[in-house]
Amino acid sequence: MSTPVLQLDNVTMRFGGVVALREAKISIAPGEIFALIGPNGAGKTTVFNVVTGVYQPTEGQVLFNGTRIDGTKRFKITKLGIARTFQNIRLFHNMSALENVMVGADAHHKTGAIGATLNLPWHRKEEKRGRELARELLDFVGIPGRMTETAKNLPYGDQRRLEIARALATDPKLLLLDEPAAGMNPAEKEALQALIRKIRDSGRTVLLIEHDMSLVMGVSDRVAVLDFGQLIAEGLPHEVQTNPRVIEAYLGVSEDAS
Amino acid sequence: MLDDFLNQFLPSTVGGLVFGSIYALVALGYTMVYGVLRLINFAHSEIFMIGTFTSLVVITAIAPASPLTGIALFGVMLLIIVLSAAVSGGAAILLELVAYRPLRRKGATRLTALISAIGASLFLQELFALVIIPWLTGKPGRNQQSSPRLVDRDTVFSIGNADVRTDHIIVVVAAVIMMIALDRLVNRTKIGRGIRATAQDPEAAVLMGVSIDNIVRVTFLLGGAMAGVAGALYLMEFENTVYNVGFVLGIKAFTAAVLGGIGNLRGALLGGIVLGLIENWGAIFLGSEWKDVIAFTVLVVVLMFRPTGILGESLQKARA
Amino acid sequence: MKGNGVTGNANPLRRVGALVDGARDWWEHAKAWQRYAVYLGAVVFALILPAPAIGTFMSPGSDWTTVLIYPIGTYILLAVGLNVVVGQAGLLDLGFVAFFAMGGYSVAYFGTEYGWNYWATAVMGIAMAAVSGVILGAPTLRLRGDYLAIVTLGFGEIVRITANNTDEIGGARGITNVPHPTDIPGVVDFGLLPAPYYYLIVIAIVLVIIFSVRLQKSRVGRAWAAIREDEDAAELMGVPTFKFKLLAFAIGAMIGGLAGGLHAGRAVFIEPNTFPFILSATILAAVVLGGAGNLPGVILGAFVIAWLPERFREVNWLKDLLGRDPAEYRILLFGGVLVLMMALRPEGLLPSRRRKAELHEGTGGMGTMGAEVTGPDTDVSTEAAK
Repeated sequence: MSTPVLQLDNVTMRFGGVVALREAKISIAPGEIFALIGPNGAGKTTVFNVVTGVYQPTEGQVLFNGTRIDGTKRFKITKLGIARTFQNIRLFHNMSALENVMVGADAHHKTGAIGATLNLPWHRKEEKRGRELARELLDFVGIPGRMTETAKNLPYGDQRRLEIARALATDPKLLLLDEPAAGMNPAEKEALQALIRKIRDSGRTVLLIEHDMSLVMGVSDRVAVLDFGQLIAEGLPHEVQTNPRVIEAYLGVSEDAS
Repeated sequence: MLDDFLNQFLPSTVGGLVFGSIYALVALGYTMVYGVLRLINFAHSEIFMIGTFTSLVVITAIAPASPLTGIALFGVMLLIIVLSAAVSGGAAILLELVAYRPLRRKGATRLTALISAIGASLFLQELFALVIIPWLTGKPGRNQQSSPRLVDRDTVFSIGNADVRTDHIIVVVAAVIMMIALDRLVNRTKIGRGIRATAQDPEAAVLMGVSIDNIVRVTFLLGGAMAGVAGALYLMEFENTVYNVGFVLGIKAFTAAVLGGIGNLRGALLGGIVLGLIENWGAIFLGSEWKDVIAFTVLVVVLMFRPTGILGESLQKARA
Repeated sequence: MKGNGVTGNANPLRRVGALVDGARDWWEHAKAWQRYAVYLGAVVFALILPAPAIGTFMSPGSDWTTVLIYPIGTYILLAVGLNVVVGQAGLLDLGFVAFFAMGGYSVAYFGTEYGWNYWATAVMGIAMAAVSGVILGAPTLRLRGDYLAIVTLGFGEIVRITANNTDEIGGARGITNVPHPTDIPGVVDFGLLPAPYYYLIVIAIVLVIIFSVRLQKSRVGRAWAAIREDEDAAELMGVPTFKFKLLAFAIGAMIGGLAGGLHAGRAVFIEPNTFPFILSATILAAVVLGGAGNLPGVILGAFVIAWLPERFREVNWLKDLLGRDPAEYRILLFGGVLVLMMALRPEGLLPSRRRKAELHEGTGGMGTMGAEVTGPDTDVSTEAAK
């Protein structure tokens, strides 16, 4: 088996006395769509925060393509090739859609103050490339006509897509989607499912947190289930679906399994 | 050099405690308002200034022919302290009403609120310099205004080569009494509970039936009153004041608040004393003209290495 | 608390605002030639501004060109510099005058002690200001915004008091006989006449404006805007937030240093009291009054704040009424204006659209006040920022 894109090696995350994540072991292969499910408060977003460097794990290691990344600065992790979206949308609300995506594209740009003040050729070239990339990505996620619109004026579903476009602009090898279908209608969910596949087919790996089971079952290659910070099951979608522990976790604790 | 230091160590310590007590009293206002509103009440220094002028007016009106002693001194001190606390407390409430409440209603950013605070600070300083001080004293508003002597500079006792005088004792004792009173008020009474609850979680406090407006008003009143007391003690000790007396002292008191752990009442006392001592001891080596630089450097260093201060932030948890 | 309804209907500022919004809409949709026409008009305007015909109205009592250099031109330059820090990067700097002092003292010190060429000392001043900006910023820019403000204030005072206490640079007496800028033979002689200094400062302002606009439109400006709106999200999108904040600090400092160098070269004399806190506050008032983040607004703000006191100084009936120089009331007025502006129109008279929206939402770089106001979300919080 080739090196996993992402590997969580016995990661524990404690906040004071609260254990948000207990000895989690996750391994994601290149090109997979991997879903992380579980009741509210099970520690799913904690996984994202550990992977993207927002939290430093109390114990354990996070490996990205075989290199340790826990303890690395957040923007550096992004540059290495991990990008994410947020459960509660965190766009730059007062920037245009295009600018939002360009901020993502800037992650790999080099010109700083001098290049910009003197309007040097490579700066102009980067700007042009960034703008083109942003246009392509808005097209790719399916909101091509919205470039100059201020982000906060976009409909909810489009904001979610814009967040995905912004994350894609950093050219991630691994894309983390935090409840991308939340608040979407069935038609939008279907389009989202197609978009996630399209992202995978363009050579990226996807790690997905989602409550919508039909989406999870329809799109993921493998599924892991978290409950109270503990990984209780992992496998193919239909295996997980019939796992008694999973059913118990969902029925016993929460009603989020809809 | 070391000789100098040993020679001046004890006198500097006494001076540091006196300054530190005043810093601590002013720091209480910063710390309480920051705890509840997460706002640096930049104009708090002017509340202190108003306290010094209230005292000046009262002392001048009483105009003792010679320094007072015994019951007369006690009575006059009490009068000055109470009046200064009342005027400063009232001014603080007014300040909140005009400069902060409209912003609070709108959920303005802390940057906005701080700018408003700076505006209020400048406005009050200039209002005093241009209008109020000339009207009160009949002298040009930007001059130093000196007050008659209220307390004799008698040495009560000596430690080594340090003379501890009556006025030193009055400042420190008065400051400590005020601190203890405030601490009890905040920790033992209903209104104090309201303040602490609001500092911790304003929304929960509202749900528990606390009136935020009321709490904020009381917070400003208490902080302002403490600054008024500090103003009275300052005037009694240094016997002069000026329209911008609060500027540097205010930054130092804020430093004291941060040093002790902003939002933490006991921290303010500790921070004030520690800052007063550092400043005075440092001045032995560098000269007293460097005192302000020493204090500001302490501020920068504390914020860099331990922004939660010595005792940590306690009226509320450290939030961004 | 979101949304508008912020300014009451009877608010006269709102009507000004509507007018401004209209002008900005026109500008945003203006064609390239229209924009260049406006630029050209602005330059022509700047060139003929010192004309005596204008001066008799604008400044009847003192020499108009001199007033244009200081305070007006100098304030504009400082305000454009502070705008990079406050308006663009969203960092509140209350000690901006420290960089003005760095520039001024570099020109004065290296010019008088070592006899350096003026232009070399001016470059030195800019460099010193940039270095001190980085030295101040590196340890402090991780602080919460309001703490940063107080630290910068402390820094400004440290610089002033240090200058006051250091005899090597003149102590409280300051430095006299600072050399004028070196003449450029056949082009310009810098002597006692004000005109060359005026054009020098105009050139400086134009250059700084061009740089500032270019930065704003580049990756750098986008990063600043992203940091203002949501620092954590920006960092997670690959923006090295600390680096960009430091950059803003350094660029602002350089502009402050430039202004200081120009000032010292003309004024011939500087002392610690040339650089009081009140000047930092005044420039901040200019930026805020005009509209932080929006250059035309900032320039207008600086102009108004520099010019009005000079103008009112000459109004005789006002002088009689007040019994003293009306200009003495300027700081009282600035203070009151700051309080009023924050309550009624925190985005300033000529705001940038984005800043306006941010301020009304309670974002804009710093989170909201406590009590009654919830922060948007605190899940990705500061302790993670290590």
